[in-house]
Amino acid sequence: MIPLARGGAAPAARGGAAPTASWIRTLEAPEGVWAVFLQARRRDAHVYVGDVHAPDAEMALLLAKENYARRDPCVSLWVVPAREIRATAGDAAEMFEPATDKSYRFGGSYRQQQRVYRGGYHTAPTEDDR
Amino acid sequence: MRAAFRESLLRVADDELTIGHRHSEWTGVGPDIESDVAMSSIAQEELGHARLFYEQIAGDEPSGADRLAFGRPPAEFRNAVLLEQPNQGWEFSIVRLVLYEAFEGLRLSLLARCGREPIASLAATLGREERYHGLFADAWLERLAGHADGRARVQAALDAAWPYALGFFETTDADRALLAGGLLPEPADNQREAWEAAVRPIFERCGLTVPAGPPKQGGRRGEHTPDLAQMHLEMTEVWRSDPEARW
Repeated sequence: MIPLARGGAAPAARGGAAPTASWIRTLEAPEGVWAVFLQARRRDAHVYVGDVHAPDAEMALLLAKENYARRDPCVSLWVVPAREIRATAGDAAEMFEPATDKSYRFGGSYRQQQRVYRGGYHTAPTEDDR
Repeated sequence: MRAAFRESLLRVADDELTIGHRHSEWTGVGPDIESDVAMSSIAQEELGHARLFYEQIAGDEPSGADRLAFGRPPAEFRNAVLLEQPNQGWEFSIVRLVLYEAFEGLRLSLLARCGREPIASLAATLGREERYHGLFADAWLERLAGHADGRARVQAALDAAWPYALGFFETTDADRALLAGGLLPEPADNQREAWEAAVRPIFERCGLTVPAGPPKQGGRRGEHTPDLAQMHLEMTEVWRSDPEARW
């Protein structure tokens, strides 16, 4: 897992601007580390699964394919230089905490609808539904 | 005709087994962890392909595939000599992979047109995996040859491998029988032309020169180098410890 760098030095070589706000971080990754995102099924989101070391995008994709997609289902991969990723800082977590009851936003039935839309891979209710 | 077809399937299976075994020797010592995993995975897939073809050859004979893979002496192997050679260096393994995958892709597409099931369908399916192997090999070749120092080493590997790679197309009486019987849609000369048209641009794009010179053959007739005997000893060691064991 890639550690976060506070106020992170931006990848100047790639022209990215350094984050200025204190709650924004860059990932503290050396050049040549690519974050890999895997899409298991066509209607799923791409999910971060780990990193590869590679000199360029083509090599990163080739290595990601064999390192992350050789066992589990995969229909598409994304790779991105890890230090191009901007993240919320760890101590910013409280901004995700609701201060008042927002259960009216949970929209469990929408999640159920998503599952139906995805083709019924998960028909049994899971912990998320409750 | 039956014997000739069996011979042609043995070539496929033995090619896959020998190059698969050589690739597996990179496990744990690859140039970086990701490529190590990728090469090991390619090795597994080549061995998987070998097994499928051995099973086709062995038919209903129990443990027949294992017996074919590990129970024959080196002189009965029909693999091209290039594939039994030790890895030497990563650049050699990559050059060999480029040469072999282009050949294997073409051969599978010919086999897919042989008109014999289930071999034809099997060949069509396996072609999918070979595509990735080729992409991996080409990408590595380009990067190794991207600097003068690396290019010189890749060139040396290509000079060493090329004459042996021409041995892919060595013919025997089996080829004549298959051509006459319609099981082989293209004679070896056409196959070689198509293969050269596929691989030459890959090397030339990298600033490499394809060497001239006569092919080094023998593998299709069971004439191998001592490298196969040595590899064979190691590869068959576990199986020989108890040939009747069920794994």
